Amino acid sequence: MTESFASSLERDLASLIVQTLKLKVDPATINPTQTLFGDGLGLDSIDALELSLAISQTYGYQLKSSDPEIKAIFSSLRALSNAIEKNRTK
Amino acid sequence: MHDVPLIGPYNPDGVLAWETDGPRTARQFLSDVSRLADSVPDRPAVLNLLSSRYEFLVGFAAAMLRGQITLLPQSRAPQTLRRIAGDYRESYCLTNQDEPVEGIESVFLRSHGSLAAWPTRIPHIPLDQVAAIAFTSGSTGQPMPNRKTWGALTAVARATGARLQLTTGDQATVVATVPHQHMFGLEASVMLPIVHGLVMHAGRPLFPADIRDALAEVAGKRILVTTPLHLRACVTEGVRVPPLGLILSATAPLPQSLAQEAERHFQTEVHEIFGFAEAGSVAERRTIDGDRWRPLDGVRLAQDQAVWMVQTSYLPTPVRVPDRITVDADGQFVVHGRGVDQINIAGHRVSLGDLNQKLLEIEGVQDGVFFLPDEGADLVTRLIACVVAPGKTVEEIQQALRRRIDPVFLPRPLLLVPRLPRNDTGKLPREALLKLAEQQAEGLSHEA
Repeated sequence: MTESFASSLERDLASLIVQTLKLKVDPATINPTQTLFGDGLGLDSIDALELSLAISQTYGYQLKSSDPEIKAIFSSLRALSNAIEKNRTK
Repeated sequence: MHDVPLIGPYNPDGVLAWETDGPRTARQFLSDVSRLADSVPDRPAVLNLLSSRYEFLVGFAAAMLRGQITLLPQSRAPQTLRRIAGDYRESYCLTNQDEPVEGIESVFLRSHGSLAAWPTRIPHIPLDQVAAIAFTSGSTGQPMPNRKTWGALTAVARATGARLQLTTGDQATVVATVPHQHMFGLEASVMLPIVHGLVMHAGRPLFPADIRDALAEVAGKRILVTTPLHLRACVTEGVRVPPLGLILSATAPLPQSLAQEAERHFQTEVHEIFGFAEAGSVAERRTIDGDRWRPLDGVRLAQDQAVWMVQTSYLPTPVRVPDRITVDADGQFVVHGRGVDQINIAGHRVSLGDLNQKLLEIEGVQDGVFFLPDEGADLVTRLIACVVAPGKTVEEIQQALRRRIDPVFLPRPLLLVPRLPRNDTGKLPREALLKLAEQQAEGLSHEA
């Protein structure tokens, strides 16, 4: 059973991910707690780079891999959404 | 001359590398190498997967001192690692504490310890010693080994440095976004600094903000070794960086327009290297000057019937150029694209035949094919796969592929189809595949 989005930011972010990475999935079916990389949506470092550009342009938040929390931030849609909420400038 | 020193002109207390926690001097480096060389198992070969560029170099140097060959897998896919470890049965894996590889004996690097005295003579490595084997993906599915002697690696580094007019007095630091286990990364971010006495940044920045921070961490002339993908990201993001001395790009052709933008944005020259794993770096150009490549000194292109071969004093036999090229009378050349079966995604080269083979190996897959659509507006154009596998789901097949191939080659999208549009001779015309993919995509968007 798929968990539902906890906020409109999560919903918007799911659409941004699908659009940016041309994933053939319905954004509404992305489980917000499922892993994004590896076994989950199967994203890789090129996706991370493309996604970081989209996030920076949309929310004004620049991701850094030196951030000790980076693995946690990219662990799921919910974690990424929370990090954006905390750091967004637009 | 039968051997050359492990490192070029460094002062014992001069900085050789920048680690996350600070500088490593040449003295520290030689201490670290000698301690590791004393502790690694007595084996003929090592898979060096260390993620810090400095630690990788320590492992690489220690292996050479022990006469061990460093194996450079083309990907970290578990199946690739196990295949290589299967072919080099007595190899071990040098890896980070938190990333052991299942099924292969793993040795971890201890953090650096006490300083040893500066040796009276820096260790020398024989020119004909095989220092590394770089693997490329072959058309049969087996990784193809490309042997690299210490003589070849140092010769390429010297020729590249001469072409780029690098001098020891520059005190330049190399910051690289490319992996050091990749041939271009090994040559430009490991060999180039140590042969010329430059400083290496140990990190591998990915995001534009990381690249900016890594460049800001170091002093003196900064050399950025990177790819068109990272350059595009930095220019799009508009990151502000300290003045750069040089940008060196490889792994995929850099569009003229991007090179111009990058030169303007970074206020420096952007040069490109042309090369491939079998021969190493072959030629250089400043991208905005035109599309002709200038072979490095000592490199000659010779025609052998329909194919072009690279000849140098350090390659035991001439090596075939995998791309379609035309060579001018003065030896400069233009690249027209990859050979028929070869594709390159973000610097990772693979044979489509190899990918198709791996797809067909999956249980339940009756027929299937990978192909590369026409380039779009994205940073990277991804492969598409059409697969006939009744009763299987897209997720099941993606899962199985993930265990077999490098993630950059995972199909985006993978389309399940009732049958492939094979023609009378059993061939799959590209147009028919593109049309099929288009129809499928439309179908999906209607459902969504």
